Amino acid sequence: MMFDVIVRNFSYLMGGLWITFQLSFFALLGGIGLGMLVGLGRLSKNPWIYYPTTIYVNLLRNIPLILVIFWFYFVMPVISGKSMDPFIAAVIAFVVFEATYFGEIFRAGYQTISKDLIAASYSTGMSYWQTSRYILIPIAFKRMMPSLITQAIVTFQDTSLAFVIGLPELVRRSSIVDNMEVRSIELYGFAALVYFIVCYIGSQISLYYENQARKVNLI
Amino acid sequence: MIEIKNISKWFGDFQVLADVDETINKGKAVVICGPSGSGKSTLLRCVNGLEPFQKGEVLVDGISVGDPKTNLYKLREKIGMVFQRFELYPHMTAVENIMLAPMKVRGWSKDQARAKADELLKRVDMTERTESYPANLSGGQQQRIAIARSLAMEPSYMMFDEPTSALDPEMIKEVLEVMIELAKAGMTMLCVTHEMGFAKEVADEIIFMDEGRIVERGTYDNFFNNPQTDRAKTFLSQILD
Repeated sequence: MMFDVIVRNFSYLMGGLWITFQLSFFALLGGIGLGMLVGLGRLSKNPWIYYPTTIYVNLLRNIPLILVIFWFYFVMPVISGKSMDPFIAAVIAFVVFEATYFGEIFRAGYQTISKDLIAASYSTGMSYWQTSRYILIPIAFKRMMPSLITQAIVTFQDTSLAFVIGLPELVRRSSIVDNMEVRSIELYGFAALVYFIVCYIGSQISLYYENQARKVNLI
Repeated sequence: MIEIKNISKWFGDFQVLADVDETINKGKAVVICGPSGSGKSTLLRCVNGLEPFQKGEVLVDGISVGDPKTNLYKLREKIGMVFQRFELYPHMTAVENIMLAPMKVRGWSKDQARAKADELLKRVDMTERTESYPANLSGGQQQRIAIARSLAMEPSYMMFDEPTSALDPEMIKEVLEVMIELAKAGMTMLCVTHEMGFAKEVADEIIFMDEGRIVERGTYDNFFNNPQTDRAKTFLSQILD
């Protein structure tokens, strides 16, 4: 094996990792943000909120991610008449897709909160949104931290699928270099190692939070 | 003044409140007692609109709770509520629990809310553990913080839903002392409790409920020494054991 191919293309490949990080960042920011609201919508007593949210979640969770990506990259431009930047298409696809998974995690988190705790918040004059913002969301966030980190790791790995629409992230760049230099084992091995390191660190953080929660039993 | 006018409520086919009628005048303390499942807690929740009711009317300072046009959030600022299981926000310290609503609902500054919180912490005798999280406080301490949290909104009325039933005996007293002080300071109170010592000391009226109805009402002496119904007699003999 000749690892000089990695060394020679290191900055190019790391540039790909940077795009992977950027995509992950926006996917998580949007996915978690939207997921908080989706979780609330799934518990809403208002049928105009509950049913559309539930249909959205069930629809997206039963479609492969790669099709969602294709849909936003190839189909949306046909409908809107404007071509899509692959990065923007990928961000939208990931936010819309991951929000359903984060939404279900938040829903489970909200359901751990007792009715009386919510009543206590209302009884001080807090509104639905204030109760959500200051009570429901922070408690669900803390209680569901291990699951949220696990889903974040999955999202990070999923971003590699954006290579199908030509986004030059880590996997895409590895394959570009491979096409020129034919060093599949080294290149894909390196890409896998990079993913492994990032995800392993993430899973250790998740484990830390899990143990912390068990030890303190605070929240 | 809280006017409960002949309200009835059903959960499906099951009637939880039946023609409950009661007026609580300013400065009065009313104690509600009765066996579990008699509708006491539900009654409190109807007063501040946490639970809807199907018949009758509740007026708080003349504002109708059941009217869909009423801003319930605004109305609830006037009515503090204390729960059996304290229900402190677990992710906030004691003092943060107290400061939240004044800051977010009233728009007070942090300093203003802190000053109010410090005053209330003194009042409920909790100046020591202000930065503790609820999980690190005893039940009695948590309940006193919960009372302070309600008082921080400067309510005109306070409702207590079995505030001492989840407490160990030695902690009941510290919570009751706070409640007695509150009643003596002129707070209008609606308390669901079986603490007859408390009722004796502060109650202007005792209501006895059974199966969703007010079965008996009267002063402490009246109710305690001369219960009219068999149901009340049985109940009293049980709780005095």
